[in-house]
This record gives sequence, structure tokens and C-alpha cells, in this order.
Amino acid sequence: MDKIELKNLLFLARISAKENEYPEIIKKLENTFELIDEMQDLDLSDLEPLNNPLELSNVTRIDKDKNRNDKKKFLDNSPESDEDYFNVPKIIE
Amino acid sequence: MNFKQQRDNFRAKKISAVEAVEESLRKIKDDQLNIFINHFEQEALSNARHIDNNFDDFIAKPLSGVPIAHKDIFCTEGLPTTCGSKMLENFIPPYDSTVVKNCLDAGSIMVAKTNMDEFAMGSSNETSYFGAVSNPWNHDLVPGGSSGGAAACVSANLTTISTGTDTGGSIRQPAALCGITGLKPTYGLVSRWGMIAFCSSMDQAGPFSRDAFGCAALLDAMASYDEKDSTSTKRQDTNFEESLSKNFGSLKVGVIKNIQELDISEDVINAYETSKTVLSGLGHKLVEVDFSELSSGICSYYVIAPAECSSNLSRFDGVKYGYRSKGEKDIANLYMNTRSDGFGDEVKKRILIGTHVLSAGFYDAYYLQAQKVRRMIKLKFENFFKDVDLIFMPTTLDQAFEKNRKSDDPNRMYKEDLLTIPANLAGLPAISFPNGFKNNLPIAGQLIGKYFAEDLLLNTTNKIQEVTDWHKMTP
Repeated sequence: MDKIELKNLLFLARISAKENEYPEIIKKLENTFELIDEMQDLDLSDLEPLNNPLELSNVTRIDKDKNRNDKKKFLDNSPESDEDYFNVPKIIE
Repeated sequence: MNFKQQRDNFRAKKISAVEAVEESLRKIKDDQLNIFINHFEQEALSNARHIDNNFDDFIAKPLSGVPIAHKDIFCTEGLPTTCGSKMLENFIPPYDSTVVKNCLDAGSIMVAKTNMDEFAMGSSNETSYFGAVSNPWNHDLVPGGSSGGAAACVSANLTTISTGTDTGGSIRQPAALCGITGLKPTYGLVSRWGMIAFCSSMDQAGPFSRDAFGCAALLDAMASYDEKDSTSTKRQDTNFEESLSKNFGSLKVGVIKNIQELDISEDVINAYETSKTVLSGLGHKLVEVDFSELSSGICSYYVIAPAECSSNLSRFDGVKYGYRSKGEKDIANLYMNTRSDGFGDEVKKRILIGTHVLSAGFYDAYYLQAQKVRRMIKLKFENFFKDVDLIFMPTTLDQAFEKNRKSDDPNRMYKEDLLTIPANLAGLPAISFPNGFKNNLPIAGQLIGKYFAEDLLLNTTNKIQEVTDWHKMTP
């Protein structure tokens, strides 16, 4: 992984890092991929991927109004809110 | 005192819920091991008084009058839930998780929330924003992770039961390193609603106690079908406590062939061999199974878990709840700096790995291949279970290790989960219990069962604990 690839990855993950930290981050990531890459030698072409151990069908429920309004509780957890809104920096100039 | 004695004392009115809570809180306040992130004196005493005042309503409940500590990953209405992270240091959930609510309904009293690896990512409890937890057996050693605080809490006898979560071994490994019993249920048995997500297709909550009895009673409380969890499984109710006294007869137990070829310490192997003798002595037949492809489970896990974590943790953006970086002028910097300051290094590393394996050009080679390995592991278990009722193997490669020892070699830390991860990939239930001691430190073995065979796992462990004393040892 080079610095440009890492910069792109950091952007995708919305994580910032200083450029002087890049070599250390790359080293750590490559170290983990060394471990992961051990599975590349396995020929599993005849197997279907498994994304859930029980291969469950979805749980559904009736879509009905529970008449629950926790607006204040949710807004109170926000780092910044104003009346009924979450505050964020200006998005549109 | 173990769970059963504590509950019996309450039911016989030898001790009130208030007295039990006061005793627990006194010990919690004296804790020198950094086991807790928060404790709740006022709420616990108020709840205990309610139980004492309505004794008849609670006497038959599975956890009647017993103090409990919850891993700080379970949302608690009106009380802080940090997940071991700066990101959620000041988060006050507006609702209770189903696990917390079930335990409350079952007559337990929450006294504290336990320390844990940040967002449950770790095997040593050293990644917590709130500092490392010490092992009760030796304070220079780790208690295991990620549910290190919950395991240390029961091991140090501060409560007789606690809850944890197990994504790659986070109940069984700390149970092993702290010398107690811990169960990871079948995926889907216990609701994940209100349990902060790490890897949704593997995360599963479960009980800690000194013995199988306590785990059975706590699992009776925790397990429920929950329409709020889309992977909750509707099944016939099993009373796990009652199943302890059932007679399942002679079982066929799979044991690991050529275990010496795995990187397992001599002391752990010796304990394993002794336990095999105990199983034979109980009338079970041992059948060797070949688990030579265990190591590929680690590779699969360290792709799938980071992939799901990178998606799950994208919700932490500094807008609706949690930490927010100060003074940001635009939204892009708000996201980036909030996440960089709010997450610790291990969490950020796993988010980056997960983002990478899901990105264009790498998806097939990593994510898809890892899911195929997952299928392979599941099929392997299905084949084993055509011939055996249970599989028995050590829980960990070695005993508790020193703090900071493995930080310089993260892959060595990841390999710590070699023996626990396969059950998570396949979604199978597994129970860890102490099966030996060396240098005054516990060693553990684990039994893995078929889907929803928790009754058999608990019953078999209980039978082992009737003829051995390892679970009675205290630090």
C-alpha cells in the first residue's frame, strides 16, 4: 500500500491522519494483511459465500404507529442541537 | 458465595435484595482492578427496595434478588453506556437493551457497568478508553477481552453473575483467563437489540458465572425471541436451569486429533488431557476429529469482522450523539476529526481494514473469499456433528499474559482467538469452563455444541463441575 492508496482509504473511512503518521499506519495494515492473506491459497471456488451463520429469513412485524415520541431524549444526546434540529456546520454556501 | 447460594439466601429471606446490593457496591467501590466504568448506587438500591417490597412477585424469578453487572456495551435507559470508547463517553441511551430489560424482569439488580475493549475490539481489555483491567489472579496480567471487566467482576467475587458479548471469543477467552464459566449462545438465541454493534453477523450476548448453574439461570433470563432484532430466532422455550438435572445419557464427544501440532502450551494440553479422562469417566465416548484448517478461521474473521465494523461504526459522525470534534467549520472536517479523535487506534485500524476489503478491486479477493472460508468452517462442523454430540477443545492457546506484551505483535494477539473464532463463524453455541491451574493461574476448556444445544452444553459442564473443583477456586 502506498501513500496515495492510504489517503484514499482514509477518506473513504472518514478518518483523518497526518502525513507523517502514514508509514506507521501502512506498516500496521500490511502486517494484518499478511495474516489475512494466508487464506488466499485455499481453493474454495466450489463454495457459496456465507454471510449469516443461520441463513435466517428476515423477522418482520406489522408496520404500525406506536405513538412514541422520544424527540427530546434523542436531541438531548446530540453534541449540538437547537430547538427541534441537530446542528451541523453550514453545508451549502 | 456463588450465584445459587446468593439466590437461595434471598429466597429463604436470609438476606434482602438491599443487603445483597449494599455488599456488592461496597466491594465495587473498593475495586483496584479497574473493572467498572460506572456504578449506580442510587438506582440499584431503589430497585432492590422495590424487589424487597414485592418479594412474592420476585421469589420464583430466575435471578431473584441477585446483583448483576452488565458489560458497558448494553444500552441502559437514562444511564451512561460508553462501549469503552471516548466516542460514547457521555452517551445516555433513551432505551434499555432487550438483555438489560430481560435481566431486570428476571429479578436481578444492575449495580454497575463493566469495562471492556473499545467497541469490543480486543483480546486483552487494553484498548479501552477507560484503561486496562487487571486480572484478579495476578494484577500484572490481562483478564482477556473484550468482556474483560465482566469476567474479572465475577472472578473477583464482586457479583456472582455478569453479562458479556462474544464476537470472536470475547466471553470464552476472558472466562478462561479469569477462571470462571462463560457461555456464547447460538447466534440468534439472545436479542442484539440495544447491544452496540461491532460485527452484526457474529455478535452474541451471553452469561458469566462461576459455574454452569449460574450461567444456566442467567441464560434463562437473557434468551428471548425479540421482534426488534431481525436475526432473533423463534424457538420453543427451553428452561436451562431445569435441563441441568436431565439425563442426556452417554455422549459422543469430538476431541482434537494431533493437538500437539497446534501452537498450544504444554500446560493447556496437560489440562486438556486430564479433562478427556474426566469426560470418559462420566461415561462419554471420545472420538478424534481433524481440525487442521482451524487457522483459516482467523483469516476469515479478520476480514468479516472489520468489514462489518467499518459499516456499523459509520454511524458515529458527531451529529446525533456521541463525541464531536470542536470548532469545525465544514461538515467533511467535522466527520473526519470527530472520528479520528473519538476512536482509539485499534478501532481505527479495523475500520480501515474493513473499508479496504469492501472497496472496489479488493472485494472478491478478501470479503468474498472470507465468506467462503466461513462456509467451509460451517460445513466442517456439520460433518463433525454427524458423528459426535459435542466437540471439546481448549479455550485458549495459553494462560493469561502480561499487559503490553502482545501490543508490539498484533498478529500474535489476533491468533489468541484461534480456538474460539470457529464457533462464531458457524454461529454455534460454546461454553468455556476452568479445567486446570498452573502457577496459580487458571486454564480452561470449551465444549461446542449443535445449534441451540445450550441445554446439553450446560448439562455436560455441570456434570463435569460435580466431579471437579476447578470452578471453585478463587483468587
